[in-house]
Amino acid sequence: MKKFLTAVFTMASTTCAFAQETPTSPLEISGSVDTYFKYDFAKKPNIKTSFASDHNSVSLGMIDLVLKKKTGKASFVGELSFGPRGQAQSIPNAAEDVSSFHIQNLYVNYDFTDKFSMTAGYMGTFIGYEVISPVGNFNYSTSYLFTNGPFQNAGIKATYKFSDKVSLMAGLFNDWNVYTATRGVSSVGGQLMIAPVEGWTAYLNVLSGAGGGGYGTIEDLTTSYQITSKFKLGLNAANYDIDNDGGGYAGAALYPQLAVADAVTLGLRGEYFKYKEVAGVAGDKYTAVTFTANIKSGGLTFIPEVRLDHSGNKPFVKENGMAAPNAGQFSLAAVYAF
Amino acid sequence: MKYGLLLIITLFSITLFAQQKQFATADDGKFIYYKVIDSQKISKDVLLKRAQDFVATQKKTIQTESQTDSSIVAKGKLIIDKTVLVVGHPSGEIMYNLTFEARDNKYRFWLTDFKFIPYQRDRYGNFVAVTNIGSPLEKKVDKLTAGEWKDIQAAAYLKVAKLVESLKKFLATDATVKKTSKPAETISTKKW
Repeated sequence: MKKFLTAVFTMASTTCAFAQETPTSPLEISGSVDTYFKYDFAKKPNIKTSFASDHNSVSLGMIDLVLKKKTGKASFVGELSFGPRGQAQSIPNAAEDVSSFHIQNLYVNYDFTDKFSMTAGYMGTFIGYEVISPVGNFNYSTSYLFTNGPFQNAGIKATYKFSDKVSLMAGLFNDWNVYTATRGVSSVGGQLMIAPVEGWTAYLNVLSGAGGGGYGTIEDLTTSYQITSKFKLGLNAANYDIDNDGGGYAGAALYPQLAVADAVTLGLRGEYFKYKEVAGVAGDKYTAVTFTANIKSGGLTFIPEVRLDHSGNKPFVKENGMAAPNAGQFSLAAVYAF
Repeated sequence: MKYGLLLIITLFSITLFAQQKQFATADDGKFIYYKVIDSQKISKDVLLKRAQDFVATQKKTIQTESQTDSSIVAKGKLIIDKTVLVVGHPSGEIMYNLTFEARDNKYRFWLTDFKFIPYQRDRYGNFVAVTNIGSPLEKKVDKLTAGEWKDIQAAAYLKVAKLVESLKKFLATDATVKKTSKPAETISTKKW
């Protein structure tokens, strides 16, 4: 950590000296810190989506540090996170044990023209609505779609921007969530971005190749529409098929959000999710409703949240340890972004 | 010691002065940055041409909406940074409308309809607009966001003042006069 901070300050000073000679963008430093308290109504960890896993505990999320610099047409982004959310929970952990860090982004980019750019390295996945960083999500807990989809993809991709309303990305990637490919550069992916009207953006994503549970293909739609200055609606729908009847998942989540004051926005996440049948065994189906508020003051956001999940296969437990079809939790998170 | 005290007082005064700078309010209640500039012996046509050239040099951030033989109406945006010394990151953008009018030997312009759109870091670590709908910069906000909003207003004012300075400098400069470039200086170590 000490060495890392020394490196950051060395880079910042170098930028200062260099900036006097060549016009470049300043070194961007940003990040976030988050912490939370969660109380499971069954008095034990029950809902198995990512992060915020501790019951009745004031626990840590992560500190996330991002560096970015652009010189001419070339730029890089390096993002490291420390803390439970940024270590083993983020997959993969950068060291053998659990007390390490996670690389969220580590890539270089070159803008060949205003319309065409190429990026290589380890990047946040282009699949899905939610992300690892709590700053990028409205809800603090995460959806089943997020938990079961890829978190990051290492690879090389090319993006062509036809206009502000249409762009296309295509790339070659390693298997999901690995710094080093275990099955070679084995996936091909693409993203079509369209913005049909002002405020509405939709991403149609496909990723096919080595992924979670085997070789398979994900089709994903991620879209959001700022309908008025107060109301925003988001949608994520995805289908993942693993080859040779290896299962997969399908689901959809709707994210309506309403700003009720300058500092307060209320939001709901309604999700339906199912694991696909594997060797004749049907997978669990889930419905989940999450009610969340975001209360902002400067860089700080308080996120109180109530979440209720249901599954007919009774994958949850009651306080007495018996199987239950329902689970619920309350959480209060504080996220500071800088 | 005396000089040190003087320096502290000067810096304190500069800080106070900087805090006082803010947008004026127009008849319609919106923030406005208005200037009339005397430009001796420069014709209306030349001033208009230079203003058009200025907009052309800023084409990534300023787009002409309409123009006549004496005026230009344009839309623009400025990026607000959260910067401490040499590091920081973009925190949002200010959208505005620019009106420029020229007469012989003088011109005036004003920027108004300021709207702020906050940025947020995306999944790739880049700062992008959170929404496409801007908040009017002059709007009153509640207590929880008042401090941050004041900083945004101050940052917007500084950015606009900087843009205005570059516009004034551009219009005062005759770009048709070619600068004579000095040959690069070479240093010989053979002679003392």
